[in-house]
Amino acid sequence: MKPAAFLYAAPETVEETLALLAEHGADGKLLAGGQSLMPLLNMRLARPAVLIDLNHVSALDYISASNGEVRIGAMTRQRMAEQSSMIASRLPLMAEALRWVGHPQIRNRGTIGGSLAHADPSAELPAVAAALGATFVVTGQAGSRLLSPGEFFVGYLATAIQPTEVLTEVRFPQIAAEAGCAFLEVARRHGDFALVGAAAVVHPAGGGRFRDVRLAFIGVGPAPVRITEAEAALEGQEFDEPLLDDVARLVSDRLDPESDIQASAAYRKHVAGVLARRALRAAAARAGGSR
Amino acid sequence: MDPNPLIGERLRRKEDPRLLRGQGHYLPDLTLPGMLQLAFVRSPHAHAAIRRIDTSKARSGPGVEGVFTAADLSMRPIEPEFTGENYHGAGWPALASDRVRFVGEPVVAVAARDRYLAEDAADLVEVEYDPLPVVASVEAATRARAQLVHDAVPGNSFFRRDHVQGDVEGGFAKASLIVTGTFRHQRLAGVPMEGRGIAAGRDRHGRLTVWASTQTPHMVRTGLARSLDLPESAIRVIAPDVGGGFGPKMHLYPEDVVVCAVARALNRPVKWIEDRRENLLAMTQAREQVIEAAAAADRDGRILALRASVACDTGAYSVYPLTAILEPMGTAQIMPGPYRIPAYAYTTTAIATNKCPIGAYRGVGMAVGVLVMERLMDKVAAATGLDPADVRRSNFIGPNEFPYTAATGLIYDSGRFADTLTAALAAFDYPAARREQAERRAEGRVVGIGIASFMEYTGMGSKTFSRRGMTDVPGYDSATVKVDPNGGVRVFVSCPSQGQGHETVFAQLVAGELGVDPATVFVGPVDTDAAPAGSGTFGSRAVVAGGGALVQAAVKVRERATSIAAHLLEASAGDVVLVEGRFAVRGSPERGVTWTEVARAAHAQAAAGLTAGVEPGLEASNTYDPPPATFSNGAHAAMLEVDRETGQVAFLKYVIAEDCGPQLNPMIVEGQTHGGLAQGIGEALLEEIIHDEAGQTLTATFMDYLIPTAMEMPGVEIVHLETASPNTVRGFKGIGESATIGAPACIANAVSDALGRDVDALPMTPARIVHWLRGRVSAVEVKA
Repeated sequence: MKPAAFLYAAPETVEETLALLAEHGADGKLLAGGQSLMPLLNMRLARPAVLIDLNHVSALDYISASNGEVRIGAMTRQRMAEQSSMIASRLPLMAEALRWVGHPQIRNRGTIGGSLAHADPSAELPAVAAALGATFVVTGQAGSRLLSPGEFFVGYLATAIQPTEVLTEVRFPQIAAEAGCAFLEVARRHGDFALVGAAAVVHPAGGGRFRDVRLAFIGVGPAPVRITEAEAALEGQEFDEPLLDDVARLVSDRLDPESDIQASAAYRKHVAGVLARRALRAAAARAGGSR
Repeated sequence: MDPNPLIGERLRRKEDPRLLRGQGHYLPDLTLPGMLQLAFVRSPHAHAAIRRIDTSKARSGPGVEGVFTAADLSMRPIEPEFTGENYHGAGWPALASDRVRFVGEPVVAVAARDRYLAEDAADLVEVEYDPLPVVASVEAATRARAQLVHDAVPGNSFFRRDHVQGDVEGGFAKASLIVTGTFRHQRLAGVPMEGRGIAAGRDRHGRLTVWASTQTPHMVRTGLARSLDLPESAIRVIAPDVGGGFGPKMHLYPEDVVVCAVARALNRPVKWIEDRRENLLAMTQAREQVIEAAAAADRDGRILALRASVACDTGAYSVYPLTAILEPMGTAQIMPGPYRIPAYAYTTTAIATNKCPIGAYRGVGMAVGVLVMERLMDKVAAATGLDPADVRRSNFIGPNEFPYTAATGLIYDSGRFADTLTAALAAFDYPAARREQAERRAEGRVVGIGIASFMEYTGMGSKTFSRRGMTDVPGYDSATVKVDPNGGVRVFVSCPSQGQGHETVFAQLVAGELGVDPATVFVGPVDTDAAPAGSGTFGSRAVVAGGGALVQAAVKVRERATSIAAHLLEASAGDVVLVEGRFAVRGSPERGVTWTEVARAAHAQAAAGLTAGVEPGLEASNTYDPPPATFSNGAHAAMLEVDRETGQVAFLKYVIAEDCGPQLNPMIVEGQTHGGLAQGIGEALLEEIIHDEAGQTLTATFMDYLIPTAMEMPGVEIVHLETASPNTVRGFKGIGESATIGAPACIANAVSDALGRDVDALPMTPARIVHWLRGRVSAVEVKA
């Protein structure tokens, strides 16, 4: 479990990074926190000719807020985001989801951009991005492209980032103070990749009803899955048990996950429905308060 | 025998300041001038003929000093001796030459300046294979005209034993009820934190010095000598600090032989450190069995007869020194356990398959046997309507029935099985737990309570190994105690530590026997050139066997010291007593000499005061062959809640009562119990080595093979009983495996109780539990 030989480059700016990417193209591989890439290198499942280490690109490490958005630099450590008061107050769904990401040691190294760019179908952050409708800032030498989650996540471990581009920033629409959100998952052990995870955001619409419901899942498809049909069914409704049962069934029916050694497809479909109900119930219970 | 005042003391671990501060010296820390690192080219096929090996590109790789196939090195296959019947062994080649039999089997070795370059060159080796049909399960291997794993192993049966004792037919005929089950136990991996590793080099005398991360340095030396065709005197094996063993590190492996052969061929020191992928592919694995069992009982739940058919998927080779019979025989032998079962028939088989060989792992054989028996006891309870605890109580062997000859032929030495269960249930507050369960159930929650009683053989002596036919295991252990001229004490025991705390408990034991401060006792590492010969550390034997030898050696030294003191004090030896580290004349405490004075006299020239004819020096060695076995016992009780919708299990309460005889150091007993429970929980709920039908391992990383972490550990209360063995030195019994043996059965019983249905298969994963709960959700594991 030693990596094959590679050239190592340590750019200090985005411009230098882009120049290296332009030079090496598909032979180059970007290293962020290394929590997925390093094992892949050690097992020789990834054999890049050039490893471009982003850890010295300090300009990509920030959390800022403006115009109702929270902007997170791609190299921001997950642990920093988890402990950020700005994220706790404006993106509580992310704060909750981050606690499910591996263990503190992993989050100390792992980055927000690295996890999203790796696009593991069981990773937590893609579900947050999908549920909130984040904007991905993908930068190349010709400039930046802004992508929606649907455009960004194109398949299993695959994104729309081109070999000459780097994910520089992710913009999350701030969650309204009166909204409720919840992130739940089932894993074999605490800290493992989710077998199934669910993110829910709901906004109170008065009279015990909710609007603008977001429901996203991980571990049940090649990329995070939002089930708009379920969201529509919940729009303007009171979340009573018959409705939640219907939504759970709908979620189970719509999903088409794969089986693996940890859980069957049937189990994942079933648990997705369970988590949909639980996440919606928890989000609804938290809605209306002021954070 | 005089009491040993340090037995029972919670002495802090002597080794911890070193190990916790990063000052341990593990095999990867060893670097010698000119040392090369080895990497292996391993078979990607579970079964194939090797058509061609081309190492030319690899040989010209940067930093490469040698590339070796089987043809390039002189190595005999590893083959344990076995003297029993119905056994067909087959040697395990150090490097496969004509045929590979499991994924991960070493084929080519590459020696290079560092491991990176060695792996680069290994990538350049070309091996052409002709795939052969694969048998990757007992079912596939025992079908008519199944592909043979070895031409010399007919029917893929390494071993079979049929045993009948007592009137089994009659017991079943007159029974009021018969309970049955088909029990499926998964394949496990031992996964010590430090994987395997070995380094070897010639010393200036031309001898081979071997540093091995092993539990059994002396047996490694014997096995290496055999495979390398060297006299044992030409090999020195040293065990450095070892980061966990758990059983798999008591075997000799192909990699061990190859490292030594390459070191000899290149005349340079060579090291190989197993990485985790190799560890999960090619370190011996454990358990995998299917058992059909039935118990016949009367209407009061008393067992009249037991029947079992055990089939163990023992993988591709019969391991040295324990052979493939270890796991299936262990299961069959322990099954009647602490119960008075008058008649028992079993068939047990070790089946060859194209998978990694099965070997020793904490609780070997016993964890599965106890699972079967304890599930059967609960089935009897369900069939009779009796409480599971009462069913066990009415079947326990009584405290006055020892020595008790079980229907297996095993002779049990001692135990208070009913007391152990009672102690566990008292700490658990069983009636309150049942009330709490009822309340929670009334709220719609899925809550179960499980108990398991068990016993285990520990500290086995030579008679057990020779009776089993495992003649490569000596069964005895040895110790040397040396008192230096200034009174310092050094001890050498044939049982090395893999982290258990040998330096603490051996120092504690000998200090108590000699009346000295344990801080002044140095416990030496096991180096076959310094430590006396013995079996090693496995099978819960270090304190029973090694400690027994140590006590006897210490007593010899003390007797000799007493006679020297008597000489110095001009008293008769019978009048000299050892009080608080000082030898004094009985009744005249002012007339005394210290250990230092005695030691100085013992090492002085004869003229300086020793009795004429007495040899100088103050040391003794002793070899101790423990009784065939001494039996520890325990009882576990657990309450857990199952998430009805997700199948996740959460422990609400866990209690363990254990009886390992006198506890030498209760803190270490508890540490063994905590660690054993963790591995038992892994076995019950998490861990599974999975192969597909082509014999490919699907669980070769820690993302797939799930071991418990601190997050999965429940709080546990431990209760101690101390029933001394009448047969061992100081009454000691072993504790190393206990909790791993009891936990899977206890947790399976608790999950069965929670679900209201029999759960006879491990691991109990969330997907399986949901399947069992809901029926309509298919949770069939994907195995292809």
